[in-house]
Amino acid sequence: MARYQNMFTQVQLRGPLEAGPPLPPGSFARGNLSVYNYWAGKLGAAQIGPIYLGKLGIASLTCAFLSFEIIGLNMFASVNWDPVQFVRQLPWLALEPPGPGWGFTLAVPLAQGGWWQMAGFFMTSALILWLLRTFRRAKALGLGNHVPWAFAAGISLILTLGFIRPMLMGSWAEAVPFGIFPHLDWTAAFSIRYGNLFYNPFHCLSIVFLYGATLLFAMHGATILAVGRYGGEREIEQITDRGTAAERAALFWRWTMGFNATMESIHRWAWWFAVLCPLTGAIGILLTGTVVDNWYLWAVLHGYAPDYPSTGVIDPATLPGAPQ
Amino acid sequence: MALLSFERKYRVRGGTLIGGDLFDFWVGPFYVGFFGVITAITASLGTALIFYAASLGPTWNPWLISIAPPDLSYGLGLAPLREGGFWQIITLCAIAAFTSWALREVEICRKLGIGYHVPFAYGFAIFAYVSLVVIRPWMLGAWGFGFPYGIFSHLDWVSNTGYQYLHFHYNPAHMLAVSFFFVTGGALAFHGALVLSSVNPPKGQPVKSPEYEDAFFRDTIGYSVGTLGIHRLGLFLALSAGFWSAICIIISGPLWTRGWPEWWTWWLNLPIWS
Amino acid sequence: MRGHWNSIAVIGGGTAGLLLLAGCEPGAKNVTQTGYRGAGLDQIVDRSSLAKAAAIPAEPYPLPPDGGPTAGESYENVRVLGAVSKERFDHLMAEMNQWVAPPEQGCNYCHNPENLASDEKYTKVVARRMLQMTRTINSRWASHVKDTGVTCYTCHRGNAVPEYKWALAPGALNPHSILGNKHGQNTPDANVGYASLPSDPFAAYFEGKGNIRVASSEVFPSSKHVVSIKDAEKSYGLMMHVSSALGVNCTYCHNTQSFRAWNLSRAQRGTAYYGIRMVRNINDDYLTSLASVFPANRKGPQGDVYKVNCTTCHQGVSKPLGGISMIAQAPSLRGPAVEPAGAAAGAAVPRAFNQPGAMTGKNEPAPIPARP
Repeated sequence: MARYQNMFTQVQLRGPLEAGPPLPPGSFARGNLSVYNYWAGKLGAAQIGPIYLGKLGIASLTCAFLSFEIIGLNMFASVNWDPVQFVRQLPWLALEPPGPGWGFTLAVPLAQGGWWQMAGFFMTSALILWLLRTFRRAKALGLGNHVPWAFAAGISLILTLGFIRPMLMGSWAEAVPFGIFPHLDWTAAFSIRYGNLFYNPFHCLSIVFLYGATLLFAMHGATILAVGRYGGEREIEQITDRGTAAERAALFWRWTMGFNATMESIHRWAWWFAVLCPLTGAIGILLTGTVVDNWYLWAVLHGYAPDYPSTGVIDPATLPGAPQ
Repeated sequence: MALLSFERKYRVRGGTLIGGDLFDFWVGPFYVGFFGVITAITASLGTALIFYAASLGPTWNPWLISIAPPDLSYGLGLAPLREGGFWQIITLCAIAAFTSWALREVEICRKLGIGYHVPFAYGFAIFAYVSLVVIRPWMLGAWGFGFPYGIFSHLDWVSNTGYQYLHFHYNPAHMLAVSFFFVTGGALAFHGALVLSSVNPPKGQPVKSPEYEDAFFRDTIGYSVGTLGIHRLGLFLALSAGFWSAICIIISGPLWTRGWPEWWTWWLNLPIWS
Repeated sequence: MRGHWNSIAVIGGGTAGLLLLAGCEPGAKNVTQTGYRGAGLDQIVDRSSLAKAAAIPAEPYPLPPDGGPTAGESYENVRVLGAVSKERFDHLMAEMNQWVAPPEQGCNYCHNPENLASDEKYTKVVARRMLQMTRTINSRWASHVKDTGVTCYTCHRGNAVPEYKWALAPGALNPHSILGNKHGQNTPDANVGYASLPSDPFAAYFEGKGNIRVASSEVFPSSKHVVSIKDAEKSYGLMMHVSSALGVNCTYCHNTQSFRAWNLSRAQRGTAYYGIRMVRNINDDYLTSLASVFPANRKGPQGDVYKVNCTTCHQGVSKPLGGISMIAQAPSLRGPAVEPAGAAAGAAVPRAFNQPGAMTGKNEPAPIPARP
């Protein structure tokens, strides 16, 4: 009964490392920084590298490094440069945005949020430069722009959280701090402040797309591995010239749930689910505090908040003679 | 329901686990099989009970219908139908339907001569569901710890159950699960996009081969996991998300009852700091 | 095969080690339902995490009957309890000796043995103010302490200074520098249950009248409700303290469908409302007013007096001292009969909701033992 289920590569081939298709004139050289790695080869391709650096790549990495350093050094300073406490308290440490008193002032003094602004600026620059880089790389190889646009969807959520919404609210204090536990505190406090984010319909949609994307990847990954013995992973070939792998994969789902995607359309489903997750999330964030101040009450207004038996408790502050 | 152009040659006998040839047939596009019959019965019964229980409730608003588990006072016993009994039977139906659906998938895999990866993956989803409505309630000693069957009421359960631990984001398994969900979403976006970008190149250009896909990812991030590897990676990420979700709720209550932030004091109190 | 068993042993041992390392609580639980079924409104407590029941000291001697000459007639300089009978006044002094004064000093902790009426020791001045405070708590703040009431022992527990108290945290060195400056948060602090939330909720809310309510009462934004997420974090920090102090979780008071909605909250939230106002009253009117009386060694690092928070009395349980009332053995602490703060509010809370199970037509279920 036990048979090979295609979970790990059993035989790895070793030959000359792949250099990749030639790049158009004016490009950097790819260099020959590439190696075989046995353990990477167990799961997927054994070849690591080469990487194309390029001007945008260098600029992006520089910005990312600056942002990382600003955040790390601020955290280090907050524990008085104590290396032991830096490691011990690291998950709790943060670089906080300017306080509510600063509004949306563009240049806040460094110690009071200016460093946060700078880290945010460099992080955003790094992301956007990297985005431009993906457009360039796609163009250089004659590929469509699907990866860059998907990446842009993710960036839109980050920008909404850290820049666009704070700008609309007129306060940097609305933005997310840099820090492991602190950003989780922000998330929870955000939901509490705006009356339960679970009642934000765009949050609902975003979660649906997140879970949906995970479900789709499990379904798709499993299907392709299941038809691996028929060469299912050669998806482009199966798209352009359908073979028995694509047919069996399609029939599996048709027989299971009465509907199937095709070898190409499954990737469209995948792309949209994955891309709509941050996009709907960003819309939900953008509407919170700007258009709706209490999502629970909004749900009550629109008749979708479940009703529990009233406890009969009355707000003491509304009663005569109660201490305020 | 018309057959797909290539479908007829795949519709062959065999591969069943139970029932031999008795249920080895199709209804429209659906394969039936013994487990299809079980699925149909349990799923219909469960759905009918949901509708019946809803009809006894105060609303037909689909956002508000909620079928709640029993009070904790019933422990692991049976409750009267209208006080959680419906929830108990619906839960049984759901588990039976999900399990037989998975076994039906196994039969279809056998019929098509393909691997069992899909039913295996589906098993993780069933595990996550069973964790919520059976394993954790059983460990805590009452069915009442299950979540209610309602679109928004189950979110209230999630919210309240989270705040039972003061700040659920500090649950380490929840952190892992959320990270896996996000990474899966990102990986799926990139995989879908990469395939689409190869078969939908700019106007006038030829469709690209996997060498170009590999080159794109090597050029941008220095590594391409490859056409087979991305499906292994994606399946691993997605199943990890489901698995750690199940773990994060199983440990909340049975293995930890205080605020999750406090759990991290083991790290603060390690002997290595002094 | 042997290899398999070895790896099983290693994995098993490793898992057990990790569980121990992480201080898991695999023991039996006490579970209580606090709201409508299936809504996730439950208290689950591992029995090993339950706060130990506090020892209730025996009375020094049985409470003497009322009557006879008053303390005011019998002693000099009795300003608060002058109307109390001498016998009962003496009884209370004996109790205070037992509840508060260090055993090696006894009466002399507050009194000059040569002249008991003298106010020369600061401790006696403090004690007088504390008597006034206790009587205020038992009368004006009956909305919080109910019939159980409080005595000196509720906070002091045999210590001259109550064990759980707070003072202003040592301030940031320089607000214009990032050095050592965590902006009052991002520190694992027991005050806020070790979250990285703002770690000093007391200065903001237990002194003065900081606004705790952060969710809006209106659907749409308005200029009347401008509350930052930073304020929500502070408020959350305070709630972490309240939960830890009482040994309960958020659903003890709230249905988190809406933290703000009162008709979804339990009566306990109303009790907590008065408790927070009571704490402010104690800190602002009774403890801070003693700023000139306390010596420096009885003050916090910023030179302010020590103040109370929820833990001062509660010490990890929802009802201090497990709900055992000691007021009957110190009746003179009851204070004058006054209208308690928010009496109408107390009356508005139906008695039934002191039993949360009433909502589902059932009595609150008894704790169900979990499988070991």
